[in-house]
Amino acid sequence: MPMYQPSSRGRDGFEVSGGGQVLDLETAVKDGILGGGGGVVHSCATGEKFDLKKMIEELDSIEIPSVFICPISLEPMQDPVTLCTGQTYERSNILKWFSLGHFTCPTTMQELWDDSITPNSTLYQLIYSWFTQKYLAMKKRSEDVQGRALELLETLKKVKGQARVQALKELRQVVSAHDSAKKTVVDNGGVALLSSLLGPFTTHAVGSEAIGILVNLDFSSDAKTNLRQPAKVSLMVDILNEGSIDTKINCTKLIEILIDGEDFESEIVSSLSLLVGVLRLVKDKRHPNGVLAGLRLLKMICSHESVRNSVVSIGAVPQLVELLPTLNPECLELALYVLEALCTLPEGGLALKNCPSAIPAIVKLLMKVSESCTHFALSILWAVCKLAPEECAALAVDAGLAAKLLLVIQSGCNPVLKQRSAELLKLCSLNYTATLFISKCKLTRTIQ
Amino acid sequence: MLITAIESMGLLCSRHQEYNQADSEENAQTAEIERRIEQETKAEKHIQKLLLLGAGESGKSTIFKQIKLLFQTGFDEAELKSYIPVVYANVYQTIKTLYDGSKELAQNEADSLKYVISAETKDVAEKLSSIGGRLDYPHLSKELAQEIETLWKDAAIQETYSRGNEFQVPDCAHYFMENLSRLSDTNYVPTKEDVLFARVRTTGVVEIQFSPVGENKKSGEVYRLFDVGGQRNERRKWIHLFEGVSAVIFCAAISEYDQTLFEDENKNRMMETRELFEWVLKQPCFEVCQLHVKTSFMLFLNKFDIFEKKVLNVPLNACEWFKDYQPVSTGKQEIEHAYEFVKKKFEELYFQCTAPDRVDRVFKIYRTTALDQKLVKKTFKLVDETLRRRNLFEAGLL
Repeated sequence: MPMYQPSSRGRDGFEVSGGGQVLDLETAVKDGILGGGGGVVHSCATGEKFDLKKMIEELDSIEIPSVFICPISLEPMQDPVTLCTGQTYERSNILKWFSLGHFTCPTTMQELWDDSITPNSTLYQLIYSWFTQKYLAMKKRSEDVQGRALELLETLKKVKGQARVQALKELRQVVSAHDSAKKTVVDNGGVALLSSLLGPFTTHAVGSEAIGILVNLDFSSDAKTNLRQPAKVSLMVDILNEGSIDTKINCTKLIEILIDGEDFESEIVSSLSLLVGVLRLVKDKRHPNGVLAGLRLLKMICSHESVRNSVVSIGAVPQLVELLPTLNPECLELALYVLEALCTLPEGGLALKNCPSAIPAIVKLLMKVSESCTHFALSILWAVCKLAPEECAALAVDAGLAAKLLLVIQSGCNPVLKQRSAELLKLCSLNYTATLFISKCKLTRTIQ
Repeated sequence: MLITAIESMGLLCSRHQEYNQADSEENAQTAEIERRIEQETKAEKHIQKLLLLGAGESGKSTIFKQIKLLFQTGFDEAELKSYIPVVYANVYQTIKTLYDGSKELAQNEADSLKYVISAETKDVAEKLSSIGGRLDYPHLSKELAQEIETLWKDAAIQETYSRGNEFQVPDCAHYFMENLSRLSDTNYVPTKEDVLFARVRTTGVVEIQFSPVGENKKSGEVYRLFDVGGQRNERRKWIHLFEGVSAVIFCAAISEYDQTLFEDENKNRMMETRELFEWVLKQPCFEVCQLHVKTSFMLFLNKFDIFEKKVLNVPLNACEWFKDYQPVSTGKQEIEHAYEFVKKKFEELYFQCTAPDRVDRVFKIYRTTALDQKLVKKTFKLVDETLRRRNLFEAGLL
């Protein structure tokens, strides 16, 4: 049985008997005697009736005055009733207490001499009034946010230069902090407006802020088409290459949104400046968020066959291979996906083969991280061993490939994987005599 | 004896003092000079060097003039007037080139009649042609202007003009021909626009120092801009300028994909630009400049105004570099598509020529029309922003 302790939450405490300052409801609530957070707005009689339960739910994060709390449930009371001991509880809770056979006052532990429970209308009024005021204040603040967002949109239509940059900065703060603002912006043509600010003569300051806002919003497919104009995408690429890490990540995410879906020309993403910029982001170990965002975009780009050659041409293969040991599992999966996609091209396979640390690194990843990773790693090794069997197979086997493949075959992985492993094992064993191969596998029993 | 010794010592000492005095004066002077050299060197360090490079007629000097107009005091009346001979030279050269061209076409083409000028105009045309061949040109009188205009309007000349890419017809031809009456006014003073259009082959190096004042009028960066001659024989002078450059502004006239060089009529201009771009990129001296920052590359794809008119009528594949171009639509969309194609070609070339460790260098492409002052101003604002950001970044402040 929780013993109700008057908590130290209410700053002023609540002394009515001695001090006797609570003269009326308005005063009590207005002067913050009830504590629980300042800034109570004095409401005029609105005549609007709110549902107390609903208000309590919506204000769940607010600090509630201790005197409104039921000692049994520690929740705010919606129907406070007082016992003969003078203690007040939530009606349903105290009735439950009684129904369990107790006839005492839970907090004072006294035996009740009177079984009457009196509705505490005064307390109810206070509770209702307090919640109503808080609720109205909250509504006003959130409306304010939306109002502010609208104001900023109007401002953006008119101002230029530094004023424009300031307005955009503020809009970005408002939108990132409040979902309601996001909706306001989208519903009032904000996306089109921000889109119109992006063009060949947009300064970095304006562009980076606008992109920072856009990346938080939902847009229609028309808006997407509009944003995919070459001049706008060029700007995003430039800003990606020049911006701070946050700006880089925003640009990356925005481009990812734009190229999502099949209905676009891959020409947008074949810009070498974009590919170089994304790769640079991926290599920046100081910012793991950037690495993840970059890899996600790279994956999406590489799912388009026509662009893969360009990705290989900028040296992505050796650079990704170098990164592999430093990546977390999520990033690793993405990186391996990309490498696998690139190895479908002969140039990609060649680049991998020419990278001395590649094969050992990839062999190491088999059966180490996840089934997907193993799957990709296997495909990569398969591609590269087919390309140059003598060289690569030898290297791979020296790196312990055979043992790993056996592991895959014996594991609970899906059958396709096992099949692949078997084929690869066979391919690798072709260059060795049986005995030599077995010794390479570090096995103690023979295999067929 | 002691006294003598002391006396002579005294003498010795005082002589030393004399020397010391002379020395210290010299020392003071030297110190002052050295201090001043140091001060100036420091000041020099803060001046950012910008280099305008590109093939002949790519628009370098026009950009140069625009910067002068935008960020310096512009051209005063004396300077404007100094362009009169240049304008007149352009007029005479243009009409001569067109007439000579029409004669050539009349001789060689199957439908030669198109290129034969009318009988009445023939004498005048011959006269104008000989004027144009002289080393110094006469003042453009009202009569001469009238005669030139008549010739210009001749159908044969217009036909020749439509094939202007096969001859060395300057880009300012149309502009000056349409303004002949104004140019021949007795009190003619060239307008800013006239000066921008006026074409004279730059030789040697020209420089200006300027500071683009920001909108809050705070003191901006100080730039020193160098303009050079673009023709082949001028390029050997470039190498002397390559040290300590903040940014190279490489101008490429994208409208000249169907034209040949002034200095070599067998070479396509775009191909020449391509080779030149490659050559510039591979110069080792652009590796390090002040503050150990790599030289930035700004590529100005210039003469877009001419490009957008030309590209719908003359396919890009006229140039071998663009032979894999496929048009996709018409009108504005097609123009944009063609532009993006050209831009991508340059981009590919840039990355091909750039070693992986130099890939961090700033490289940006701008679409320009050097004759449009507003556009040049906007473009330069972006260039300035990029360079300032780069400096802040290198200083660790970004």
